[in-house]
Amino acid sequence: MITNFDKLCGDLEKQELEAPTGIASPSTYAQLLAIYLYQNDLCNAKFLWKRIPQNITSSNPEISAIWAVGQKLWKKDLPGTYQALAAFTWTEPVANIIRALEDNIRERTFNLIGRSYSSISIDTVVSMTGLSKDAVLHICRDRKWMLNEDGVTVSPTPPTQPAPLHTSSEDQLFKLTEFVSFLEN
Amino acid sequence: MFEMNTAEPMQVDVPPEDNENNETECYVVENPTLDLETYAASYTGFAKLYRLMFVADHCPSLRLEALKMAISYVMTTYNVSLYQTLHKKLAEAVASAGLPDVAVQMGSQDIPVLDSIWIESKTKKAAIKLEKLDTDLKNYKTNSIKESIRRGHDDLGDHYLDCGDLTSALKCYSRARDYCTSGKHIIMMCLNVVKVSVYLQNWAHVLNYVSKAEGTPDFNEVPGKDSNQSILTRLKCAAGLAELATKKYKSAAKHFLAASIDHCDYPELLSSNNVAIYGGLCALATFDRSELQKQVIVSSSFKLFLELEPQLRDIIFKFYESKYASCLRLLDEIRDNLMLDMYLAPHLNSLYMQIRNRALIQYFSPYLSADMRLMAAAFNRTVNALEDELMLLILDGQIQARIDSHNKILYAKDVDQRSTTFERSLAMGKEYQRRTSMLILRAAMLKNQIHVKNVGRDTGPQSGEAPGSSTSLTPRTFDTVPL
Amino acid sequence: MASPLEQFVDNVRTMSASGSFRELCEVIGKSDESLETLDIQQHSLGVLAVLVAKFSLQQGGDVDKSTMFKQIHDFITNCNGEQVRFSPELYAELCHLLTNYLVEIKQPIRGIEILKKAIRKIQLFDSQLTSIHADLCQLCLLSKCMKPALEFLDTDVTGIGSELGGNNDSKHFLLYYYYGGMIYTAMKNYDRALYFFEVVVTVPAMVVSHIMLEAYKKYILVSFILHGKILPMPKYASQVRLIMSWLPPNMLLSNIAIPSSEDKNMGLVNQVLSSMYKKNIQRLTKTFLTLSLSDVAARVQLTGPSQAESYILNMIEEGEIYAMINQKDGMVVFLDSPEKYASPETLCVLEQQMAACTKLHQYIQEMDEQIQVNPQYIKKSVGSHDEDIPATSQNSKTTYSM
Repeated sequence: MITNFDKLCGDLEKQELEAPTGIASPSTYAQLLAIYLYQNDLCNAKFLWKRIPQNITSSNPEISAIWAVGQKLWKKDLPGTYQALAAFTWTEPVANIIRALEDNIRERTFNLIGRSYSSISIDTVVSMTGLSKDAVLHICRDRKWMLNEDGVTVSPTPPTQPAPLHTSSEDQLFKLTEFVSFLEN
Repeated sequence: MFEMNTAEPMQVDVPPEDNENNETECYVVENPTLDLETYAASYTGFAKLYRLMFVADHCPSLRLEALKMAISYVMTTYNVSLYQTLHKKLAEAVASAGLPDVAVQMGSQDIPVLDSIWIESKTKKAAIKLEKLDTDLKNYKTNSIKESIRRGHDDLGDHYLDCGDLTSALKCYSRARDYCTSGKHIIMMCLNVVKVSVYLQNWAHVLNYVSKAEGTPDFNEVPGKDSNQSILTRLKCAAGLAELATKKYKSAAKHFLAASIDHCDYPELLSSNNVAIYGGLCALATFDRSELQKQVIVSSSFKLFLELEPQLRDIIFKFYESKYASCLRLLDEIRDNLMLDMYLAPHLNSLYMQIRNRALIQYFSPYLSADMRLMAAAFNRTVNALEDELMLLILDGQIQARIDSHNKILYAKDVDQRSTTFERSLAMGKEYQRRTSMLILRAAMLKNQIHVKNVGRDTGPQSGEAPGSSTSLTPRTFDTVPL
Repeated sequence: MASPLEQFVDNVRTMSASGSFRELCEVIGKSDESLETLDIQQHSLGVLAVLVAKFSLQQGGDVDKSTMFKQIHDFITNCNGEQVRFSPELYAELCHLLTNYLVEIKQPIRGIEILKKAIRKIQLFDSQLTSIHADLCQLCLLSKCMKPALEFLDTDVTGIGSELGGNNDSKHFLLYYYYGGMIYTAMKNYDRALYFFEVVVTVPAMVVSHIMLEAYKKYILVSFILHGKILPMPKYASQVRLIMSWLPPNMLLSNIAIPSSEDKNMGLVNQVLSSMYKKNIQRLTKTFLTLSLSDVAARVQLTGPSQAESYILNMIEEGEIYAMINQKDGMVVFLDSPEKYASPETLCVLEQQMAACTKLHQYIQEMDEQIQVNPQYIKKSVGSHDEDIPATSQNSKTTYSM
């Protein structure tokens, strides 16, 4: 299982650029497209899709299917995204990336809901995350989002910020000294 | 003479138009409570004529009366062409009044008819006088007596002014400058130029000469303290007018406030009442509370001016006492009359707006939160209209607050100094980096002599080949976006 | 070693100038032999000259181009950087030839790696601009593969290769910044795009080039997307007025109002429109604490509460506003930025920003010092010492522009 998508991404980009005829293998294209989506780099994904030669896209339905997902993401159509994700049976190595992509989207969506809503109906959450109602309720409990008395809306709480990174005080002192010496000169 | 006649009618027409072009071209004041007789009595010369014409243009109910007064006044001068213009207007007014019986009823007995004998004799007399003055001036010049030459120019200027030829008057007055021998003369010359420039609405000129007069070395030593005061007041009034006309309301207010009532005798330009109104309104629109108190309310000299305009005095006091509703109501009451003032009318809307905004700001200033329903009541507005007004003020940074549209409450916003400082310094840093890298790049550009030049191709503008490559390279997909 | 080569090049030049192409073909036919006798690494300059001569003379298909790609590729990979730096014009010319060839055969993506290598080889330092930069950007745009260009675009230029300026027209300079602006626009990095377009528009100019005109159109549109208005130009951009006379902003704006399919900027225009909604919503956040979604829709002229909700949600996601939507009451609560500037991240950001500023400042100081010892400058400042000349960078301009 590959988890370091960034490195893979670099390798794939290189493969494409060094392809002798300027055209890379369908598998390279498919993986790269999926990784761009995973990185939420929609601009590059869009241009990649545009530069893949027609004959490759038409003979490789998987690539088209990946871009179908990208299209929904571009339009910020979350329910459509999940439909597009579910509509195709992915094959390795793309399936691996797609799984990560789906988790990634869902995680982002939950964080977004937490940040943007003080109350939201469960149905909306269900359509935004593409999960079943039970699963949503379960995650709401995990995230300590309160179910309101009316039974149809929940009150999300903002996600907690990741713990800040600490730099050594020595390092900070060094930088401060440098800064002051710059100012004085 | 011939020359004068051709130039003149335009001169008369231009200034008032200039003034109104902005926004107030065609409004009509229906029910003024203006007593035209008293109003006109406060002015002489062009001030009277222009003001009456302005009233006639904008107030149908006073039109006939104003024109008649103007005509009877213009007959005391040599201004033949204005006489003719006024008569034309009068004829139009009578015709447009439409109802013949009205015209007959009051017109038959007292609408003056065009007096062609008067025109002829005046024209002749004016020409004779002009000739005489011209010869006088020539004689003085041959004798080269400075003082006489100066006076000759002044007299000629006076005569041109009397005839309504403002540009020639201005020229004569300015020429006198070379023959001034004392500070007092210079000041007189400046005053003359200022006066004509006001008529011509050449405001930059006005300010220029006001400061010239004030800068005259012995301005402060002119004998007779009274005359000095009166000159100062005149200069202040003229400067105030110029600032008002150029929308610099705050400095206009300061100039008017510096006028002294005992020496305010300037019927060629404005009356003491004008000073009170202009100064009062401008101050109200632009001064903050403490300035208003110090410079207007407790000012012993301006207090006397305000006595002339009790309504305005009440307005200012109500404003200061935070009784905004009645203050604004009073303001609306005097609005019609003020709209008939040729210098104030174009600025009245913006002045009123500023006063209103100031009132809103002051109303809210002591509160942490205010009920917008109460506030709307205090300002005679609907809640929604108030919301829009407040929105503009907040966006403008004049009120630090946020609107709770749900509960209709206005909350003061506490500005976090620290955060804004951080925010601003970061933005500043970004800007510095952007500018500096641009500068470095530019230095490199100049060093390498990069510039677009004509490469002598016959295809005209340079990069004859460049556009080709650039356009062919710009498929529309690049610029853009969704799918 | 150079003399036979020079002779060869000379031959080529004179013959092509006199139009005697038949003889030329023969000479070129032999050129491959001469190539074989030269070693790319040792005789880089010579090989360079031969290659340029060979490929720039192809009229029709006399000499086959199939080897061109490979030969240039080999040359750029193996040539001696120090040698070729003596002839940057030829080197750049070779790259232009390759670029044109790839554009012609519609395989632009193949050139990206080579040109990247080519640039790195000829550059004296990372932030030096060469005329090859423009080619790279062109290939990236055409192949719709923008990412490789970014590493170059992201570096602020501090020096310019000699082949770009001087008597050569500044086409490649303008093109680089124009293409760069387009790449950034495509990547939605509008801030950088604006910077790039501004450079194009402010290049000293006696006449307006079409590139500048196009860049100005895009400058205005991007400026609207970013700031909601046209930013004022710096003072030295005197030629902007020249451009304005060609293309008054009002005209452009009326184009926005009446979208014409002819204009290639339609996509940008659409972006402007949607950014206008966003700007208006941002204005609302400054004035309101709470607002119903339908009020939001009414105030910014969206079609309805649901569209308003999706706009607000997107803006929250992009970090453009801070707000809470309450679906139950259909209200939205606008919040202040949660940034309190008290976290270690803030410190980190500050440090980075300060370091960047310091670096720039030091660079400027260096430039200043260089100018101080520039004989021309000294002569001039001594000559006119009655004028009070402060030793600022501004003087560099007057000196250089002499």
